[in-house]
Amino acid sequence: MQLIKMHEVLQQSVAGLYADLVTRPTGRAVRESIERDLPPGTIAVMDFTGVGCLDYSCADEIVAKLLRDKVRVLLLRGVSDAHREAIEPVLLGHGLAVVCAGPDGTLEVLGAHEPAEALLEELVARQLAARTPGGAIALTAA
Amino acid sequence: MTRLIEVPVQFDDRSFEQFAAAYAQAAADGARLLFDAHAAEWASPYGLVGLLAAGEAAARGGERALLTAPANPDVVSYWARAGFFREAGDLFEVHGKVPRTKPATESEVLLPVTPVRAAEDVHAVVSTIQQRASAILASELGLEPKATMGFAMALSEACQNIVEHAGTGGWVAVQAYHWRRKLARRVVVIAVADAGVGFRHSLEPSQAKRFGERWGDAAALEAALVQGVSRFRDPGRGQGLAGIRRYLARWDGKIAIRSGTARIAIVPSWDDDVPLKDGLPAFPGSQVLLIIPEYGSREA
Repeated sequence: MQLIKMHEVLQQSVAGLYADLVTRPTGRAVRESIERDLPPGTIAVMDFTGVGCLDYSCADEIVAKLLRDKVRVLLLRGVSDAHREAIEPVLLGHGLAVVCAGPDGTLEVLGAHEPAEALLEELVARQLAARTPGGAIALTAA
Repeated sequence: MTRLIEVPVQFDDRSFEQFAAAYAQAAADGARLLFDAHAAEWASPYGLVGLLAAGEAAARGGERALLTAPANPDVVSYWARAGFFREAGDLFEVHGKVPRTKPATESEVLLPVTPVRAAEDVHAVVSTIQQRASAILASELGLEPKATMGFAMALSEACQNIVEHAGTGGWVAVQAYHWRRKLARRVVVIAVADAGVGFRHSLEPSQAKRFGERWGDAAALEAALVQGVSRFRDPGRGQGLAGIRRYLARWDGKIAIRSGTARIAIVPSWDDDVPLKDGLPAFPGSQVLLIIPEYGSREA
């Protein structure tokens, strides 16, 4: 799994020390920067720790387009409620889904229902995640 | 020859129609314009950014329009602290006593009148508003802390409409004030205005055929705000206004967009605005108004 630290990529991609992922040009710059180091079909972990505001435009440019065109599975962590509010409608609009990891490694899906279930099954099949005794699914490395 | 346009005494989104009618009539023959604000007693952020948009459109004729500043020292001082004259200097030949005041850091002006021309400007606006708005939204409007981030998101998307669609720059202003006349509660108001091409022109290549004879400013606004249509064919486009609507629905807020000869609004229960108006006096560009009331105001 490839780790993408979004705050670091943001700082490297745009002029000015901003902590917010806003506007399409910024989203495009960040996505292109990520794509350079990402082989197609990768399972990527996107860490949003340190990111302030994420707007719909950036969520679409980065999360949706990477998922649509580049990565196989996208696992998000460090995601706040506000980040989710930007990401979820964008994913639903595209019929896409991501997996979100909580601080304890517990996984939940965000976005369209059908691909979301398949994502969790794939992570379990690859032994990157496992079912907990409580019935949840958590990252095996957590 | 100079044509006079009176700036309403109470200049907000309601009286804006009176202003727009005067503008449409005065601007018709290409004469130099004089915006007379000497009697102005109060202006909302919407009034201030709308006046700048009129000034920019007027200046396209070649000669800057004239502007008579408010005569009341308190009013002119407030306009200065709201950042109006910092922007107006480039667009108008300003007459009257204007205090040399820096834009305010007082709690009422969450964001002074700020130009929006590029993505970097949106970054700066979002960064500033998060620093200034969180305390106001939480303590004075009673909104949950997570509302602040949604507020920044809505502001970002509203500003991006200028960058992506106007074909020119525009302005944004954010203020919190006690809205006695309507709600008797505090509100936060975001006003965004430009003198660009407007929604109809922006959407015409992709939408005019679909609407057929109905196509016009009102249909364009309906397509953008209600149907989430964008001029781009990418399925991820058009999310911005939809996101703003979701945010406002959660916090019982209001959005109104005026463009060309039409105005559309998503009207909350506390307001009696008209959802769609067509056949208004022509005014350049687009003007967006977002109002978020103090939590609990829906019972007012």
